Amino acid sequence: MLSLTRRRFLQGSAVTAGALAAHRWLFGGLETLARADPLAQGPPVEDMFPTTCWIGKQDCGMLARRIDGRVVKFEGHPGNPRNAGTLCPKGQAQIVSIYDPNRVKTPLVRTNAKGQKGEFRPTSWDEAITMIADQVNEVRARNPKLVLWQKGRSKAKDFYDDAFVKSIGCSKLGHGAYCSDAGYRALEYTIGLHGVQHPDFQNVDYLLAWGWNITNAGGNKFCWLTWPRQMVVARERGMKIVHIDPRLRSAGPFADKWLPIKPGTDLALALALCHELVNQGYVDTEYLTNYTNGPHLVGEDGLFLTETVGEGDEAEQVPIVWSASADGPVRADQASQAKLDGTYEIDGATYRTAYQAFTEHLAQYDPDWAEVVCGLDAQQIRQVAREFGEHARIGSTTVVDGVQIPYRPVSIMSYHMAQQELGFQALRAMTYVAMLVGAVGAVGGMFSDFEWKIHKNYAAFEELTVGDPPYDYMLNKSKYFPINTGFPGVVAKVMLDPERYEVEELPEVCILHMVNPVAAFPGQAEIMASYEKFRFVAAITPWLSETADYYADVVLPAATIEKYEGVISASDGILDAKTLRLPPMEPLFESRGEIDIYLDLTEAIGTLFGDDGYLAVVNSELKLEGEFALPLDRKPTPREIFDRWARSQGLEGGIEYFERNGVWVKGLIPPEKRYGYAADPPFGGALHRIYGASLLAAQRQMQSKGADEIYWRDYTALPTWRAPTMESSPAEYDLYLISYHMIEHKQSRTGMVPLLNELAPHQRVDMCPRTARRIGVAEGDEVWVESHNAVTAETRRVKTVVALTEGIRPDTVAMPHHYGLWSVPESSDRGPTPNAIYPTGEGYMANTADQSFHVKVRVYPANGGDEA
Amino acid sequence: MAVRTTTPGLPYGVGRLTTAWKAFVAIAAAVVALGLYAFLREVTQGMRVTGLRNLGTGGGATWGLYITFVVYFIGVSFAGITIAALIRLFDLRHLRPLARMAEVLTVVALVLGAFAIVVDLGQPVRGVINLFRYARPQSPFFGTFALVLAGYFFASLVYLYLGSRRDAATMAREPTRLQGLHRFVAAGYGDTPAERERHRRASFWLALAILPLLVIAHSTLGFVFGLQIGRPGWYSALQAPGFVVLAGVSGIGLLIVLAAIVRRTCGGEDCLTERVFAWLGRFLLVLLLVYVYFLATELLTGTYAAGEREVDVTRQLLTGDYAWIFWASVALLVLPLGVLAWQALSRRWSIGLLVASGVAVNLAAIGKRYLIAVPSQTHGQLLPYEAGSYAPTWIEYAVVAGLLALGALVIALFMKFIPIIELPDESREEVTADA
Amino acid sequence: MTKYAMVVDLNRCQGCRACMEACKVENNTAEGVFWMHVFRFETGEFPDTRQSYLPRPCMHCDNAPCVKVCPVGARYKREDGLVLTDFERCIGCRYCELACPYGVNYFNWRKPADSYFLDWGDTDIQAATGGAIPPYRNPDLDEPQGAERRMTAGGGHHKGVMEKCTFCVHRVEKGMLPACVTTCPVAALRFGDVEDAASPVSKFLREHEHFRLLEETGTEPSVFYVGGNPPGSETRQIETIEVGV
Ligand SMILES: Nc1nc2c(c(=O)[nH]1)N[C@H]1C(S)=C(S)[C@@H](COP(=O)(O)OP(=O)(O)OC[C@H]3O[C@@H](n4cnc5c(=O)[nH]c(N)nc54)[C@H](O)[C@@H]3O)O[C@H]1N2
Ligand SMILES: Nc1nc2c(c(=O)[nH]1)N[C@H]1C(S)=C(S)[C@@H](COP(=O)(O)OP(=O)(O)OC[C@H]3O[C@@H](n4cnc5c(=O)[nH]c(N)nc54)[C@H](O)[C@@H]3O)O[C@H]1N2
Ligand code: SF4
Ligand code: SF4
Ligand code: SF4
Ligand code: SF4
Ligand code: SF4
Ligand SMILES: [Mo]
Repeated sequence: MLSLTRRRFLQGSAVTAGALAAHRWLFGGLETLARADPLAQGPPVEDMFPTTCWIGKQDCGMLARRIDGRVVKFEGHPGNPRNAGTLCPKGQAQIVSIYDPNRVKTPLVRTNAKGQKGEFRPTSWDEAITMIADQVNEVRARNPKLVLWQKGRSKAKDFYDDAFVKSIGCSKLGHGAYCSDAGYRALEYTIGLHGVQHPDFQNVDYLLAWGWNITNAGGNKFCWLTWPRQMVVARERGMKIVHIDPRLRSAGPFADKWLPIKPGTDLALALALCHELVNQGYVDTEYLTNYTNGPHLVGEDGLFLTETVGEGDEAEQVPIVWSASADGPVRADQASQAKLDGTYEIDGATYRTAYQAFTEHLAQYDPDWAEVVCGLDAQQIRQVAREFGEHARIGSTTVVDGVQIPYRPVSIMSYHMAQQELGFQALRAMTYVAMLVGAVGAVGGMFSDFEWKIHKNYAAFEELTVGDPPYDYMLNKSKYFPINTGFPGVVAKVMLDPERYEVEELPEVCILHMVNPVAAFPGQAEIMASYEKFRFVAAITPWLSETADYYADVVLPAATIEKYEGVISASDGILDAKTLRLPPMEPLFESRGEIDIYLDLTEAIGTLFGDDGYLAVVNSELKLEGEFALPLDRKPTPREIFDRWARSQGLEGGIEYFERNGVWVKGLIPPEKRYGYAADPPFGGALHRIYGASLLAAQRQMQSKGADEIYWRDYTALPTWRAPTMESSPAEYDLYLISYHMIEHKQSRTGMVPLLNELAPHQRVDMCPRTARRIGVAEGDEVWVESHNAVTAETRRVKTVVALTEGIRPDTVAMPHHYGLWSVPESSDRGPTPNAIYPTGEGYMANTADQSFHVKVRVYPANGGDEA
Repeated sequence: MAVRTTTPGLPYGVGRLTTAWKAFVAIAAAVVALGLYAFLREVTQGMRVTGLRNLGTGGGATWGLYITFVVYFIGVSFAGITIAALIRLFDLRHLRPLARMAEVLTVVALVLGAFAIVVDLGQPVRGVINLFRYARPQSPFFGTFALVLAGYFFASLVYLYLGSRRDAATMAREPTRLQGLHRFVAAGYGDTPAERERHRRASFWLALAILPLLVIAHSTLGFVFGLQIGRPGWYSALQAPGFVVLAGVSGIGLLIVLAAIVRRTCGGEDCLTERVFAWLGRFLLVLLLVYVYFLATELLTGTYAAGEREVDVTRQLLTGDYAWIFWASVALLVLPLGVLAWQALSRRWSIGLLVASGVAVNLAAIGKRYLIAVPSQTHGQLLPYEAGSYAPTWIEYAVVAGLLALGALVIALFMKFIPIIELPDESREEVTADA
Repeated sequence: MTKYAMVVDLNRCQGCRACMEACKVENNTAEGVFWMHVFRFETGEFPDTRQSYLPRPCMHCDNAPCVKVCPVGARYKREDGLVLTDFERCIGCRYCELACPYGVNYFNWRKPADSYFLDWGDTDIQAATGGAIPPYRNPDLDEPQGAERRMTAGGGHHKGVMEKCTFCVHRVEKGMLPACVTTCPVAALRFGDVEDAASPVSKFLREHEHFRLLEETGTEPSVFYVGGNPPGSETRQIETIEVGV
């Protein structure tokens, strides 16, 4: 800027220079910022160019205000159903990150040993791409699966990464249960939908906000602001929120009732609520009889009584129910009036209906029991159950767009709730709370996805095959994790000790795409150790992630918002809409969009062209057929790909439609797609599983194959409470550590945004004042937070500062995610990540490899408190 | 009398540059230079170099040491002009020797006050221009600093000039290096009885005019703080009178110190008698009594009568971050009060103790000005912001030291041109006789 | 006759501080400067804890102490209710900041170019931005505003002068809403003409109980709060913003 000022001085004559100087001296007029584009001649050219948020998970629509081609501001796109012209703080602040001089500017090649702060030399794209291609091909020749392509919290639903994976046949790894996968599996298993839990805000009256960080973070599927937008309107209608969370801050002022539950005990609370609903008679027998496996008869072995129909491969097992009309056992698919409850004699053996088994199972879980386990008040639990049952209006129906649909204005919102040791079973039990009153898929009821599409896992989970060793390094079909989430924690443990898991082949090459495991994943030590084992690691990232810094051999500079991405859903669950991320400016530095990168990479690998090459997969992923299909012998530009897609959708002007309008709103999602009851067949034909016979079957196989109890104990047909592993830590570890997201930051990917650091500058540990008094610390004091792994007896500790709030259980402390970064100056020295003290692995990684974000800790003053 | 003994040459050390004097001037000049350097840094780098910060989320104080001294300087000037005026008005012959010191003090203090304002501006040069270019009388700020003070700044200048003119005329008859300058200052004044009579009357009426001006000036100064509803601790009716009295206290205190110095260094023993100091002592005593009374009431209203925020601020003064300054100031007011009272009763006045008291009350005055300005900013937020803090940086200390040194320098120089003590009339007879 | 006012719906506010960010980006304010600030409050003890949020722009008072005390008329009130600072006239005495009961004024303590977070000297970036500081520099801020054509949009953030929320005068003049209002995810912020009885804000105010901050100081603020209640003596701030600038 100075240089420019000076240049302007020189331009002017000595006189004007003098005058300027005088003016400066008198009025400080020039002691100001460089004007917008001082070099531009004539009046500035201004326009608004549509794109989408690059930071977040739901890709809110944006308009980039450009002055002479320079982006100066992002405004929310008014036409995008998700954000309707608004943006959250991260959406606003990302403007700085685009121009961040700390971005990776050129491809980099590592020059020092891995496992330490990286030293890199800049290189050409050609060299970088060739290096990666050679490594990939060398391994592919032996076994393509030993190339691991890893992506974490993706933004836009991207076809191009899948296309890459499929075209070279490598393995793909996501964030797994480090996000909410345990919940996804539970809902896929129980109702067949891919998602966790959310309400129909247009109609719901009574909502259980179950571990939903309302005023800060996602909830089911969304990044944030769409849910609060719908929530405030619903509250103005009179909707009540019961906030089930050890912290109040997540709901802030919106908690009509706060149940400060003890961390990790949600399964117990869910079972107690079911207990009360059944006892108080809030049961939708019609739904349970017709749409769940409740009537199926269960034998003493805990498995379903079935009858084989058809021969050979055609043969399938059809469950038996007790027919009231026939007063005897009948095939479920032929029964007229199946009995929902009861115990029956068939050929001397006794059978009870699955629902009967369920209600008997519930007997032990009354609110007085839960009061102790969950640290809540039994009366409060009873009251919530009653209010939930009453608001459910069992039996009522309403008409939506001419379709008559059951009306159950009670629901649940939950997502990271799944991040606990018993996450999978807890989410099943929580779903039962909605199922008992028939609220699943009803108007105002509980949903899991925006359209009633049955996920392939639903069928797959009917038969859980537990295979024999050797297992692949993800432990698919293993006796350890028969339901497998594809979990980085598992991969890490396997790589550190393959024999133990009876694995023979380990991955050798890793491509990191939008993932930062070292900073973002619990069990940091294990995660880091596992990356040491890769022979070659390539990272595609706009900033040097901590993982890239320590372990990448090659780093490719990804563009930030200056790139094409998509196709992106812009649906808010009510309207169906599509959008694309469009580049408001040329990529800065030598950075490039991922599509360009993968086109080059596959070309170098030799899998770009041809019938099952990258382009071919792109065609099928985007359903580009006939005239719209990409020719398989020519490298397209990203813009061309999306242009063809847009035309294939019948949008005249192709991609220009989006360059003009930004978003394509297709219209309301019809009730037949939204509401399970209205779907044809109802609920997509998936019978809701209130009884998980296949889980029990899996448990038996695991036992027969000699798996330890720690692996099979939670594979139970009905969600069964047991004390979490952390409870067996010694008594001096007297506090629960939980974790959460802050509104000001996004995962570990906004640490370098100074505008956000200004609002949330550093890590802290939230603590109740009475707890602080007990420990003898005050606001702002430095403390050690030391965790204890109840299985390995290992302890880990981090130093941070105390933040007092009366909005947290006295037996619980909380540390937000987002911190503990080091690879960019701006993000460094802002305090530790809780992932440094969260254990991963056995005990904290249970059942379907559900990662626990809970551990017992002790907190003590850091001054002289270095005695550990 | 003394004057006769100081022949040859001019009375009261005029024109005589002792080494002690030279050393003093040199040191003062050095300090001024330092202050100037600090100020220039502030101008070029912005006021970030001071300890000042924004209120509210900034968690600081936006007015600090500079404003403290603005108020202090103006307070001092007040005393000067008052005494000068009183002497003229009631023709208090035995106090005449104090008149000129008082006037010099006033003028110098006012100039320093003005400078202190300028150094506190974010845009100093622009400030000097715009304060007049866009003057807004509605602003108490303007009312105080631009109008009234300027008004009596002018008045005291006139005094100083009328008096000096006479002495200059007298001294111009001596053939010295300064003869030319003295002739110039005298500007044809012949000191005939007629002229002398005209002087006397002019002075009298001027005095009459000034007195009300004074009261307004210091009331408005009080209002600068007093009228701010936004600042707990400031919105107090007592501010105005409180200001006036404390101003008097500091001013008289300083006058005592100056008089003592003059008595020592310029051979003023003949006219700066015990009696003069006793009078100053009693005056100071009275003002102190009144002020301590104000202080007490102010505290009571602050603690009991007022809203919770006021109480907060007061608590900070009594027990919080500012307690040490507060209690130190109180001590520096109460101790002199005791000393003076004892001297008054025993009717025996020690100049040493008087000087000590003078210094003490001035430190106290500075402390009190600071406590009025700062705590209501750091702890007086009406919205629940975090409490703030303020600590001056060396830049601020240097600038203030520079200002004080500048004042001392000016007075020191002045003394060498015009007698710091008005020449008594009889001495004049003498000189004329010799001629 | 238009008179602008802002209405804050505390029944909706998420305390997300997007308004603060929108303001910072739109108005290019420097480090540690928050023309809009959102308090996060807490009262009571576990488990009977209550939390609330409170956005705080400049109140654009009808009886503004800051205007009264400004010695040079740099701080002034427009007919349409906006209280603005003419940064070309301001002498930096900071008297307005003292007089304001709401703590919304921000003085420019240092060279603006030193106050923008990162080092923008990077040549590649300069090439893309023409050397603008910050790179998202908004040219509107350098334009004189309103009929009186005074420099009130806070542009330049000159060293040694005062600044504060302008109600986004440069947007309002163009018929746009303030940046904070547009970005608010839950439409908790409303802005409009309260003289016009038919305007949405007027309607909203008629239909809802509302209060203004520190009414007792007689400042007649133009910012109204619906729902919730004013902070009291037992109100504690949580998640405070610490800034050393
Ligand atoms: N303690 C604790 N840990 C948590 C959580 C928690 O709540 N508490 N949350 C968990 C959850 S929900 C998730 S989803 C995971 C997320 O963990 P990750 O999926 O690892 O997400 P980030 O931490 O944001 O890391 C993303 C990385 O991708 C890179 N990146 C960013 N944008 C782009 C881009 O446009 N292109 C490319 N190629 N790369 C990009 C950046 O280097 C960034 O570091 O974290 C989990 N970690
Ligand atoms: N601002 C922001 N928004 C984001 C993200 C971000 O990083 N920043 N990340 C996005 C991503 S990837 C995801 S997955 C979503 C996650 O969004 P959320 O599902 O809302 O996840 P968290 O923010 O972790 O909130 C989890 C809540 O559960 C509470 N909790 C912790 N332990 C327990 C427990 O044992 N029982 C109960 N009942 N509650 C518990 C915590 O106190 C916290 O309030 O957010 C998305 N949105
Ligand atoms: S909610 Fe998520 S996607 Fe939307 S603007 Fe904020 S960060 Fe971006
Ligand atoms: S943007 Fe809206 S919701 Fe967020 S803090 Fe500001 S006013 Fe509240
Ligand atoms: S809030 Fe403060 S700055 Fe804004 S108008 Fe009122 S007094 Fe002036
Ligand atoms: S700082 Fe500027 S605007 Fe504020 S009172 Fe002083 S001159 Fe007026
Ligand atoms: S109105 Fe404009 S200036 Fe005022 S707070 Fe909102 S965005 Fe900032
Ligand atoms: Mo996630």
